[in-house]
Amino acid sequence: MTTHELAAHTETSTGIDTRKVGMWAFLSSEALFFGALITNYLLFKGRTLEGVHPRELLNIPFTSISSFVLLMSSLTMVLAHAALTRNDQKATRRWLLATAALGATFIGGQVFEFTTFYREGMTLSTNPASSSFFVLTGFHGAHVTVGVLLLLSLVAVSFRRKGLTFARGMNLELVGLYWHFVDIVWIVIFTVVYLIR
Amino acid sequence: MTSIATSGALRRRIPATGFWSWVTTVDHKRIAKLYGYTGFAFFIIGGLEALLIRLQLARPENAFVTPAEYNSLFTMHGTTMIFLVVMPLAAAFMNYLLPLMLGARDVAFPRLNALGYWFFLGGGIVLYSSYILATAGVPAGGFVPETISRLGSAANGGWFMYPPNSGATFSPGSVIDFWLVGIALAGVGSLVSSVNLLTTIFNLRAKGMSLMRMPVFAWMSMVVNFLLLFSIPIITVAIFMLIFDRQFGTSFFEASGGGDPVLYQHLFWLFGHPEVYILILPAMGIVSEVLPVFSRKPLFGYPAVVFAGIAIGFLGFGVWAHHMFASGIGPITQAAFGLSTMTIAIPTGIKVFNWIGTMWGGKLRFKAPMLFAIGFVAMFTIGGLSGVTHSIVPADWQQTDTYYVVAHFHYVLFGGAMFGIFAGLYYWFPKLTGRMYHERLAKWHFWLMLIGFNLTFGPMHWLGLIGMARRTYTYAPGLGFDFWNMVSTIGSFLIASSVLLFMANWIDSRRRGKPAPMDPWDARTLEWSIPSPPPEYNFGEVPAVEALDDLWHQKYDEDERGRPVRKPDADARLSDLEQRHLHPAHPPHLPAPSAFPPLAGLSALGFAFGLLYHATAFGVVLLVLATVGLVVSFLSWSQEPLEEEAGK
Amino acid sequence: MATADHAHPTPRQYVAIAGILVVLTAIEVSLYYLDIGGLNTFALIVLMLLKFTLVVAFYMHLRYESGFLRRLFAAGLAVAGTVYLIVLLAFLERGL
Repeated sequence: MTTHELAAHTETSTGIDTRKVGMWAFLSSEALFFGALITNYLLFKGRTLEGVHPRELLNIPFTSISSFVLLMSSLTMVLAHAALTRNDQKATRRWLLATAALGATFIGGQVFEFTTFYREGMTLSTNPASSSFFVLTGFHGAHVTVGVLLLLSLVAVSFRRKGLTFARGMNLELVGLYWHFVDIVWIVIFTVVYLIR
Repeated sequence: MTSIATSGALRRRIPATGFWSWVTTVDHKRIAKLYGYTGFAFFIIGGLEALLIRLQLARPENAFVTPAEYNSLFTMHGTTMIFLVVMPLAAAFMNYLLPLMLGARDVAFPRLNALGYWFFLGGGIVLYSSYILATAGVPAGGFVPETISRLGSAANGGWFMYPPNSGATFSPGSVIDFWLVGIALAGVGSLVSSVNLLTTIFNLRAKGMSLMRMPVFAWMSMVVNFLLLFSIPIITVAIFMLIFDRQFGTSFFEASGGGDPVLYQHLFWLFGHPEVYILILPAMGIVSEVLPVFSRKPLFGYPAVVFAGIAIGFLGFGVWAHHMFASGIGPITQAAFGLSTMTIAIPTGIKVFNWIGTMWGGKLRFKAPMLFAIGFVAMFTIGGLSGVTHSIVPADWQQTDTYYVVAHFHYVLFGGAMFGIFAGLYYWFPKLTGRMYHERLAKWHFWLMLIGFNLTFGPMHWLGLIGMARRTYTYAPGLGFDFWNMVSTIGSFLIASSVLLFMANWIDSRRRGKPAPMDPWDARTLEWSIPSPPPEYNFGEVPAVEALDDLWHQKYDEDERGRPVRKPDADARLSDLEQRHLHPAHPPHLPAPSAFPPLAGLSALGFAFGLLYHATAFGVVLLVLATVGLVVSFLSWSQEPLEEEAGK
Repeated sequence: MATADHAHPTPRQYVAIAGILVVLTAIEVSLYYLDIGGLNTFALIVLMLLKFTLVVAFYMHLRYESGFLRRLFAAGLAVAGTVYLIVLLAFLERGL
């Protein structure tokens, strides 16, 4: 019996892999985390005592492209997983890198957007509306960044002698779950913050 | 086993005993002891803070401590008892017992388990370093009423830390930030732990142990961990927002900047109310285990007790604004929350009646665990009754911020949670140590604590109703407060003496207590079917379970009247079990110790201090080093095999 | 044994789902520029929920997983939705 005796799913009481249960429990808790930030935004989005309102500065075409980029990264992520189940190490690595690249592009877009806002006079502390905006999108961005680091570490591991073996396949699946979660949070943010007037 | 190998990047052999074996442990029983001893140490410290408070309040217009020192003391006392005592002690019980009760070798994620402990310890260190390192600063208006001593420099905004008082204007300096960062760190530890324990309960049960055959303690642990899972993220958001208000000029909670302090209250109590059920449910679980054993009767209405616990967890998310009745929320909100608060009394009452029903007609044995369990039922009921009076909104307006509330929560938290914890500490002492504690000393502990506790907190009901305000460093003479405050202070010293008796009992019994058999109480659940103390791998062979209270049914049949009849071969069965667990047929595989959880914990601690000192070069360096440490720890951890690899 | 137990969409199906997601996003964005009154918000929320469900069900595989995982994830969403709705209502009562 090797590495995964304790984490193996074959003997678990639910029949589900233990690490998968753990990841879904964590993702479930994130609903409360992002829910608080979204609620805060909804409460404060009209509070602009002074200073510019986020609504005036949001660039819908630009953010639509960012959203498209993040959506596509979810596609490349599942393609990486599919490649691993075929034991195609090279393809897996390529799709993982593609996902990381798309994620990094998204972050780049966020950074560009934020610095533009700063130049145009909307900062973290301008008014409660801007604070709520930055805190919500900022924490989301931090989650994406962590995700990119996770993806890059998977790529690094894939260079080990045994590569991304099936035993480590669950790691990729777990990172995938986290990545898709970060994507669905953005699906909500894009609608609630950017599209709904 | 004299030594064990860690694996992965820092592979080397380390001794199975000694300091480093504890630092790198991933054994749930050891982690439980770490939680337990650390939590108890904080109990002593929090108790000392309480004694200082009581000394100050013993007489009117006393000057034993200054107002600033008083503010630090009550804040730190409350914060300590909640976050650094009851939660870790509950974690200690859950960690130690769940694998044993469920028939597992360890928890689902042993290294994550260790990480939870190190984050808790880090949070406690950050919080307490405020006494030494924090600076109170000059408040708005520039008037400094006193030179603030070290004792007055700890976190001082009340354990709930409401803005605007805790905002930058009225609490300049770093005092509040130490609290915010420390609690955030401890909170992440609890979140991590909850993911681990939930997965353990769902996935690592022995064959045949369906959910409805689990001990009640396991069910209560499940509810507690769901509450943690969903409530910790909320307070984390509140803490971040308050930190941003204080440090980065945002106005989430500043009315003058367009924000709303009531939002903080919602976010805080969305965590804070589930938190109180997190504090009480483990004790309820313990009591549900102790009462049947010492009544020689099964728990009355097991399904009802389980479902009542689930209902409490559920409803616990629907009552938070009852902490805000006096904060200016609207009448519809008040009415709705008043109603929901009343309904939560129902499942609580169901449990109380079931506990009484368990004892009714049973053959009661009044050993220390039973005394504390009965004490729990009585004291918690009193606390619950005062709690229900809070659900009536206009009455609550009168009670808010008076000592009536202080009485209520001490009856449920001390008379409830702590009495339950003491019941558990005595009950499982033989299993933990292989020895019996001194029964007479334990009884002295109980009676002294019960009397001291009621003397301390009983009068506070009256004091509150006649108008004594909370969180105020002194009171004027001649208001009718003097006598009962003195009584209360005397009571607090009785409590302290009883704690000393407990400590003496624990320390001496560990070394010189009578050796205890595997099943000294003639109990019902799986942990009593393995040797005392358990071998490192818990079960020599994984048990198969056929019923609720499986161990009991292995020892006893029932006669025509339903009374237990000991099987003639019961003793033989027990010693057979003991032998099979002591001498397993196949050497069990165990998770190897790991250096990465403590390394990650240390990095997180460094990160916390880096945040607190982010305006200095030192802080920035700390942040960078800590980030590197965290990344390296987690990367290495992910590559480290969970178990010793054969032949390496 | 982990992932062979249950069906997986094929890469082609994954791409098809991505295509649907893109189309939905395009509709969402055009709704921003159109103005069909109060229906706008409603439509945008429906589209958001559709995209959310597609990613969760197919990319996160929840459609093929044990009901236990579905309930586990749903629990967080349900608690969040309920408590935050109540918070918003409480603020609405006081006057935002």
